[in-house]
Amino acid sequence: MDTIIEFQNLEWKYENTKEFALKGINLKIQEHSFVGVVGANEQGKTSLLSAICGLIPHSFNGIYRGQVLLFGKPVREMDSLELATKVGLVFSDPEAQFTAMTVEEELAFGLENIGYSLSEIKERLEWAAQITMIEDLLDKSPYDISGGQKQRVAIACVLAMNPPIIMMDEPTSMIDPLGKRLIFDILRKLKEGKKHTLIVAEHNIEQLAPLADEMILMSDGQIVRHEPTLEFLTNPLYLREQGILPPECTEYAQWLKNEGYLSPDTRLPLELEQAAALVMPLFEKKVVK
Amino acid sequence: MKPLITVENLDFTYPDGTPALLGINLEIGEQEFIAFIGQNGSGKTTLSKCINGLFKPTAGKVIVEGIDTSRRGVIKQLVTKVGYVFQNPDHQLFNRSVKSEIAYGPRNINLPEEEVERRVREAAQVAGVSEDLFETHPYFLPKGLRQRVAIASILALKPRTIIVDEPTTGQDMQQSLEVMNFLRALWKEEGHTIIIITHEMRIVADYAERTVVLGQGQILLDAPTRQVFSQPEILQQTYVEPPQITRLAQKISKEEPFRSVLTVEELKGLTKEVLS
Amino acid sequence: MTEITASTPLTTLPTRKATARKTLLGQVPLDSPFYAFHPVTRLILFVFLGVIPLFIFIPEINFILLLVNLILLRWGKVDLRRLRIYMPIIFTVAIFMFTVVILAPGKDPSYTPLTVLGITIYYQPFFFTFASYWRLIAMLFGTILYFSTNHERDMLVGLRTLRMPFVVSYVISLSIRAAGMFMEDFRIIREAEQARGLDTKAMRFSDQAKLYVMYLVPLFSIALRRADEISNALFARGYTLTGRVGTGGKRSDYIRSRYVMRGRDWVAIFILVTIFAAVAIAQIFFGVFALTHSPLNIYLRTILNIPN
Repeated sequence: MDTIIEFQNLEWKYENTKEFALKGINLKIQEHSFVGVVGANEQGKTSLLSAICGLIPHSFNGIYRGQVLLFGKPVREMDSLELATKVGLVFSDPEAQFTAMTVEEELAFGLENIGYSLSEIKERLEWAAQITMIEDLLDKSPYDISGGQKQRVAIACVLAMNPPIIMMDEPTSMIDPLGKRLIFDILRKLKEGKKHTLIVAEHNIEQLAPLADEMILMSDGQIVRHEPTLEFLTNPLYLREQGILPPECTEYAQWLKNEGYLSPDTRLPLELEQAAALVMPLFEKKVVK
Repeated sequence: MKPLITVENLDFTYPDGTPALLGINLEIGEQEFIAFIGQNGSGKTTLSKCINGLFKPTAGKVIVEGIDTSRRGVIKQLVTKVGYVFQNPDHQLFNRSVKSEIAYGPRNINLPEEEVERRVREAAQVAGVSEDLFETHPYFLPKGLRQRVAIASILALKPRTIIVDEPTTGQDMQQSLEVMNFLRALWKEEGHTIIIITHEMRIVADYAERTVVLGQGQILLDAPTRQVFSQPEILQQTYVEPPQITRLAQKISKEEPFRSVLTVEELKGLTKEVLS
Repeated sequence: MTEITASTPLTTLPTRKATARKTLLGQVPLDSPFYAFHPVTRLILFVFLGVIPLFIFIPEINFILLLVNLILLRWGKVDLRRLRIYMPIIFTVAIFMFTVVILAPGKDPSYTPLTVLGITIYYQPFFFTFASYWRLIAMLFGTILYFSTNHERDMLVGLRTLRMPFVVSYVISLSIRAAGMFMEDFRIIREAEQARGLDTKAMRFSDQAKLYVMYLVPLFSIALRRADEISNALFARGYTLTGRVGTGGKRSDYIRSRYVMRGRDWVAIFILVTIFAAVAIAQIFFGVFALTHSPLNIYLRTILNIPN
């Protein structure tokens, strides 16, 4: 598979802070992979995403050393239009990312910026609205819909542009359980469509882990771990120290392995169904179903 | 024991005609730790605002420590009974310094200046806001501290009941633990009744003793948290799922004690018991 | 576009069907007859009703315009009870205007002093104020009519159809959004103050005024934090201030293409423009709607014996 994003020793400091937000990042991301980014707040997750979509260095002032390549071309040399066709970013606060008066306008906005034909806009818009389940919201004001709906609209806005790379920065942190589920549903659809590279920063590892192929742990402006998700979750204690709550099922299964209830070479479960399949036989005949 | 707050057949309809609450009955006692859960639009926030008198019932009654919230001119009394911490601290910090922020409530209820001063220091201390910050503008504090200042400014009114709207939204694990442990201390050590509105089921499982599940303006369940999570079928109606570990335990067995496991530690304990 | 479906079942959504639509100032049933017209027709009606009082000095005609507005509101199925919220503005404006004209009428030897209830008023400036007041009220109701029956998008499509440059309509929509968020923040801040024991109902007016100054702190701090996020959102969607687009050609206008003009739109616009032009010409060149032609004015002057 091809590397489509490459960080070469990137350092970045915002003009109004003392410390560097990114301290020498080296990273390669393969096409069509799903990468989860975790870590406590203020450790560099958002900066990492911003450096990929070009908000860093184009929209912020600061010190920028090293470089980031998108499809082999430095982000620094691309303008907002070129970047918008390559990479889309969904922010965590759904409230703040709208600028238009209706949802449909909001979706069309980016497409109009690119200059697509009317029929192409219609087609893309309907496609994005369908995946994100917002067809019945199109003529509403983005101001009058619920937080979860707003976030789906924000995702639809990015999808409509159909960039090969889609990133989300804590997309579910401000919304209710149903809204969270719907967003992870969308991510699952996108992953199974195998047309996009997905990068998602989240605190909600329980829902992220089953989807992510690999995980990145950010701490103090650096990538401290970058591994396939399974390996990443094998050390729940270490993760807790880093401020990460591993999925409860994974943590429990790891304990079962440590205690010898499960064989040491058991593959850790990442979600409920996998865990149930693994654990239920242990309790067979021991408990009343 | 006499409850602190009694809600009787409460209906609430927004001025534009949208019904938000229908026939709510609820009793809240002394020193409880309660979680209100449910989807957006289920009525959690509206109910909380009815409890502290921000909203007046369309029908029915809310009695807070003997005061009917629908009576005129009771605001100043009510704020000393029920405190409400808003989700976004930015909405509730409107003074130029941390100190005047905390003093704002006590001054509003016309306390003498030396009492105001005393309450400010007390509240700041309990909330962990250092006196070095008293002259700082709240705007320049980091979010976690802004939230603490917001809580301190409520504590200064000495309400028995404190409602906190989504205390952990947008926070990481460490920050969530900090604020929740702080609320737990207010409950256990200071004897307050704490009500949290939240979407985080792990937080509910770890902290709340009692959980009220709201859906479409009605109370679907109101029971000890353990019992609430052992009824996934009812929770499903409002798209709420018990914590993952609870669901795993329920797959192992539909019977007690598995049915009402709340934490990984509990399931580990049970596993040892059953398997060895 | 490729079809994307997931292998495992997805969450099913509860569905709810809307019967009314939210407008800028309220809620109007979807079957309001206004929606049979193209947004640009409605925008032209707004310009017509909002601007025509500028040419009309005769208070009786402005009063009739007010009635026309009310009839249109009724016809458009707007809940007339909602208009109550504008009462304070209507009265405040009246009190302000008449107080000023009574206390400071200006000096002119031709003014006729009259004593009413022991106060000396001057007829000419007083009648002029009376007439101006009805002009204002007519314009106000024209505005209320438009904003009560139109959606944000209607306004946008209307502006774009009138060939307003993209940047202009965009800035307008951004300001409306900002104003909406501002109002929402404002509401929450007021609640937060109440939650800390502030009883605005029990306060004097001067103290309430001071309060508004206090609101500015949180309102602006929130707005500042938000402004950054909005500009980032614009960047992320490929917006360039110059309006340059990716293909190098013209910006496409998708939203506008969703509406079509029909026969009744052309007829309505033709009637509105004709009346507007006729009124404007009649007033500018012939002074048809001047104050001196007001029947009430003529009647009062006759009984009070005031020369023209």
